Parts: sequence; C-alpha cells; structure tokens
Amino acid sequence: MLPKIFFGYFAVVMVVLSLLIVTRKNPVHSVLWMLALFFHIAGLYLFLNAEFLAAVQVILYAGAILVLFLFVVMMLNLKEEVMGERFGKEWPVGISIGAFILVLFFFTINKFSQGPTGQYTIERIKAETHTKAIGSVLYTEFLLPFEIASLILLIAIVGAIVLAKKTK
Amino acid sequence: MNSADFIALLPLIVPALASVVLLLLITFSRSHAVSVLFTLGSLLLSFLLLFVAGGGTPRRVTPLFIMDAYSLFFIGLLFIAGIVVAVMSSRYLGERSMERGEYYVLLLLATLGASVLAAGSHFASFFAGLEILSVSLYTLIAYRRNDDRGNEAGLKYLILAAASSSFLLFGMALVYAQTGSMDFFQLAEGGRVPDLTVVLSAGLLLITVGVGFKLAVVPFHLWTPDVYEGAPAPVAAFIATSSKGAIFALLMRYFSLMDLQRFPAVWYGIAGIAVASMLIGNLLALRQNNLKRILAYSSIAHMGYLLVAVLAGGTVAKTAVGYYLAAYFATMLGAFGVIAFLSGEEGDAENLEAYRGMAWSRPWTAGVFVAMLLSLAGIPLTAGFIGKFYVVAAGAGAALWIPLIVLVAGSTIGLYYYLRIVAVLYGRVPEGEGGAVTGFPGRVLGMTGGILLTVLTFALLWLGVYPAPLIRILQATVARLVP
Amino acid sequence: MVPLEWYIGLSTVLFVIGVVGFLIRRNILIMLMSIELMLNSVNISLVAFSHYLQDLRGQVLVFFIITVAAAEAAIGLAILISLFRNKEAVHTDEMTEMKG
Repeated sequence: MLPKIFFGYFAVVMVVLSLLIVTRKNPVHSVLWMLALFFHIAGLYLFLNAEFLAAVQVILYAGAILVLFLFVVMMLNLKEEVMGERFGKEWPVGISIGAFILVLFFFTINKFSQGPTGQYTIERIKAETHTKAIGSVLYTEFLLPFEIASLILLIAIVGAIVLAKKTK
Repeated sequence: MNSADFIALLPLIVPALASVVLLLLITFSRSHAVSVLFTLGSLLLSFLLLFVAGGGTPRRVTPLFIMDAYSLFFIGLLFIAGIVVAVMSSRYLGERSMERGEYYVLLLLATLGASVLAAGSHFASFFAGLEILSVSLYTLIAYRRNDDRGNEAGLKYLILAAASSSFLLFGMALVYAQTGSMDFFQLAEGGRVPDLTVVLSAGLLLITVGVGFKLAVVPFHLWTPDVYEGAPAPVAAFIATSSKGAIFALLMRYFSLMDLQRFPAVWYGIAGIAVASMLIGNLLALRQNNLKRILAYSSIAHMGYLLVAVLAGGTVAKTAVGYYLAAYFATMLGAFGVIAFLSGEEGDAENLEAYRGMAWSRPWTAGVFVAMLLSLAGIPLTAGFIGKFYVVAAGAGAALWIPLIVLVAGSTIGLYYYLRIVAVLYGRVPEGEGGAVTGFPGRVLGMTGGILLTVLTFALLWLGVYPAPLIRILQATVARLVP
Repeated sequence: MVPLEWYIGLSTVLFVIGVVGFLIRRNILIMLMSIELMLNSVNISLVAFSHYLQDLRGQVLVFFIITVAAAEAAIGLAILISLFRNKEAVHTDEMTEMKG
C-alpha cells in the first residue's frame, strides 16, 4: 500500500507541475516549475532503484539544462511577454490532437503484456550497486554509441559557438 | 571488440577521428583550402576503407552495428554524397565570409551520423545516429546566421525534429516494453514478437511518425519547403539526399526484419502516407516559383514513390529501393549543384524567373539542369526512369494497385511542373529596358563546378542507359538483407 | 508493488501535456520546454520498463536521451539568440520570412 501512496503523490504533483509549465505566461515561472518537476522525476527514479540516473537527472537537467534556459530567458529580457497573447490561434486543434492521443493510449494500455525479463534483478543491482551495474553495460555493449554521444556534445559546442557569436 | 571488429568499423571510425583532427587543425590554420582538402581526403579514405571492411562481412560489431553488404552499399552511397556536397560547399563558402572550418567538421559528423544509421541494427544506434545527423544539421541549416531565413529555418527544423524524436523514442520504449529487446535481429527471431498486440502496433506507429518527419512525408512535411529555402544550397542538397537515404536504409532493414506485413495497422498507415505524399507533394509543387521549394515538394513525392516499394516488400523491392536511391542521389545532387554553383553572394539562385532564357546564354549548364529535371520526372534514358520502373515492377508484383495508380497520376502531375521549368529555361529573353537580367550573366561555374556537374550528368545517363552493372551489385548485396 | 501500467499511464499523461503545450504555445522558449517535458516522460517510461524487465538497457538509453536533450537545448537556444539579435522575435507567428 505504501508504494502506491508514494507513487500517487509523485504522479499527482508531476501532472500538476507539467500543467503549470505549459500554461504560465512568464517563461521564468515555467522554468522554475520545471525545476520542481525534475526533482520529482529524480525522486521517482530513486523509487525505481535507479540511483545513478536520479543523480544525473539532478546534475544535468536541473543543474545544466535549466540554468541554460534561465540564462537565455533573462538575456532575452521579454518584458512585453507578460502582456501578449499566450496561445496561438490554433489552440483548439492542439488540444483535440492531445485528447485523441490520450484516448488512443488509454484504450491500448489494458492490452499491455510485458516482454521476457532479463538478468539484472533488483537483488543483483543492489549487490553490485547501480552505478557499477549501469557502467558495466554502458562501457561494453554500448561503448560505440557512448562515443557517438560525446561527438554529439562536440557538435553542440561547435554549433553554439558558431551560431551565437557576434558578427564583426 | 577485437581487431576484426575494429577493421569492420574502420569506415565509421575514420570520419569520426577526422572531424576531431580537423577541429584541431583549424586552430592552427584557418585556410579554407586546407579544410576542404582534409575533408575530401578523409571521406575518400573512408570510402576506400569500405573495400577493406568488406573482406570480413557480414559481421556484427556489438549488437549495435551490422557491417554487411547492404550497409556497406549505403555507406558508400552516403560517402559519395558527402564528397559531392563538400565540393559544392567549397565553392559556396569560398565566396562568402563565414566561418569555414567548422562547416566541414559538421559536414563530416553529419555524414558519420547518416552512415551510423545505415549500419545500425539496434534502437540505441538508431537514436545515436539520428541525433548526430540532426544536431549537426540544425547548425548547418542556420549557418548563414545573418540571414533571417536561415535562422528561421534552423529553428523550425530543430523544434520539429526534437518533437518528432520524442515520438520516435516513445515508440521505441513501447516496443522495448513489449519485447524486452532493442535489437532488430532479436526482434526478428521467432516467438520474440507477440503477434498483433495493440501496444506493439502503437509503438511501431509512433516510430513511423518520428521517421516520417525525417523523411518529410505527408502529413509530416510542413517543414520541408521552408527548410530547403532557408538552408544554404549545399546543405539543402545534403538534407534531400543523405539524411533521407540513410533513414530509408534503416527503415528498410527494420521493416523487413520485423516483417511489416504482420502489422496491418502500421502497413495501412504507411500506405496512407505514401499515397498522400505522392499526391500532395506533386500538387503543392505546381504553385511554386522558387526552385528550392519546387525541389522540396518533389522530394516529398519521391519519398512517397519509395514507400510503395517498402510496402511491397521482398527481394525485387529491396533492389528497387537501392537503385531508386542511387538514381535519386545523383539527380538531386545535380539539381542542387546547379543552384549552388549559380548562386552569387547576394543570395541563392532560387527564383525561377532568373533562369528565363538561360539555355541561350549558357547552353551546357541549362542542359545539365534539364537532364536532372527529366530524371526527376522519370523520362526514359535517365536514371530516374529505371528507378521508377523498378518500383512499379515491385508494386505490381505485390498487387498494390491503388498506390500504383496514384504513383502514375502523381508522376503525370510532376511532369507538368518539371517541364514548366524546362520551358522557362528555353523561354524567350524579355526584350527592352524593362526586362530583368536573367540567365546569370558573368557567373562562371569554375573548374570544380564544371567537373562535378559533368560527372553527375554522366552518372545519370549511364545509370539510365546501362543499368545492368548496378543492378548486379544490388542483387548481390541489398537483396540478401535478412540472414 | 505499483503496477507497470500506472507508470505507462503517468508517462502518457505527461507526454500528452508536452505535446499539447508544444502545439498551442506561441513562445519558442516554452515550446522547447515542452519538448524537454516530452523527453522526460519517455525517460520515466524507459526507466520503469527497464526496472520491470530487469534489464539495464532501457536506462542506458535514458542516459543518451539526456545527453541529446542537452545538446539540442544548447543549439536551439543559440539559434534563438541569433534570431532575437536580428529580429527581436521569439514567437512562432512572428516567423514569417518564408511563405508558400
């Protein structure tokens, strides 16, 4: 029963927070609600025995990506934003597409059947520690995409510098 | 990984290393020629290494990559496209004051991403390859950063591509949950994939949405004309060819391993997409006066034709896809090549009216352009005709009558706007003081332009007149896709 | 134990909120945030699946998704700054350079 109450708390808070993110007028408020959301997601990861990812979520998402967003929001200095129209003209279309996807998914969800399980049981991860277990998968089977991920970050650095540089 | 794995992966390792070395190189020398030559050299080296890697095939390097004849063929095609785009860009960038070295770093990495897709056999390599390709394209599209259209196009592409990747990932997550595996080959194993579960179909449909965006098929095509117009002409050529071809190669592998015919919801979804792309792509092209936008709509229609072959499935269809893509690459690169080499510093040569009467002042350039347009339209004696013929044969073999009728109808509409461009090229030059200057007087193609366009035209005609050698290669490689 | 369906439900709801936010907002910054929301909902479902499947590959994919999200945010914001410098525009309906 207790896990279900925990999950219920996380689920309700996360849905409310994401609704706040997409509806606030001031982008700064959205970013701050997003910060709260990311901490809750990290909490949910802990709940799912993924400590390493919880730490990465806090450090990378809350620590790096959101700071970047906040930085740009401040830099663009959107004073008139609070006055302007919040939603585009086609908002009923957007909401109906969303409702359609939602209905479609709730019809499929009860047909769900789980695939065959693998070898990383909770006990094994607990014995090995999560960081070590995920490292042993990441640096063997997934070594090559790991290298590619580093190249993606290189592109991000090169691209951001080339694009945001002031012209002489 | 042992040394044999390493040798098999060399064609992918070389461009990755080359991009890092080039980045170091431009800190010492910002010479444009050095960057161009280094890029061309490393792409050529990677291309030659394909033959070295071919010795040990087929070989699975970790579950993520498969180096077999199929992937080597497409990687080769992608490297050739990369070389052609690099040559186009050398002229294009040489005439403009932009950061030059970084452009080639991004181009190398984009080519690497496309090759990773062609060799991918796992959701992780699919995602990694797709993202390295997209993230470098975001920057390349917005590369003319003082141009509002470039920035707008880059941002549009980024926002829509990022949203479509999250659809793709959601689909992957659902397939993973249902099967407990991300490996394409494991998915193909008997019994692993439960037949016809609703969730699996939903996952595959979401993957189709994500992929459909990258292929720019209707109804996910809205970004295409704007991005082609805003991007520099060589980058537009890259998006039209490499980015789409690589995803097509992966899609073909994935769907033939999964056996698409077993999922009617997905099959009909793709059929609808194919029919809509062929019709709407061709119809929307009729109203355009901007050459880049016409080519954008034309590429939408061409992806629709190719999807007909995917729907058909089977050996003939795979040969058809390989041949069609080779022909499409040569044609699109040639068409964008003409635009890129005619583009001056004031903007890309994209306005159709500027081409009026060009055939009289520069007959050779106009002739090349006409050859490319006729191949896009699928006129006999060009590569496009043989490609389309093969697709129709594959479709007829699988009795796909409705898509085939639409294909023929779409090609007929297409003929109209391709011939309209030809008519403008051979049109009468407006007389008198009021007439605008047309036909790009004073613009020289240069040696690189001349050689590149001549080679592409010869490739086009050779593929159209004597297709047997390529078909033999394809039958030996592409058709043996499923182990 | 919490049933796996609950996690799928939660991540679907978050995903749909992200999609709707992406479709209806005019401000590009909020659209980028909606995309982050969509990616996070996928992450939640992947972590949950990999927990229930007793398989770590889902979590490794989450690791890559976080990397890519960072790269996309960096480039997206760089283009946005470049666009804002030229045009002072951050809304979708102000992007009207190309028509047809």
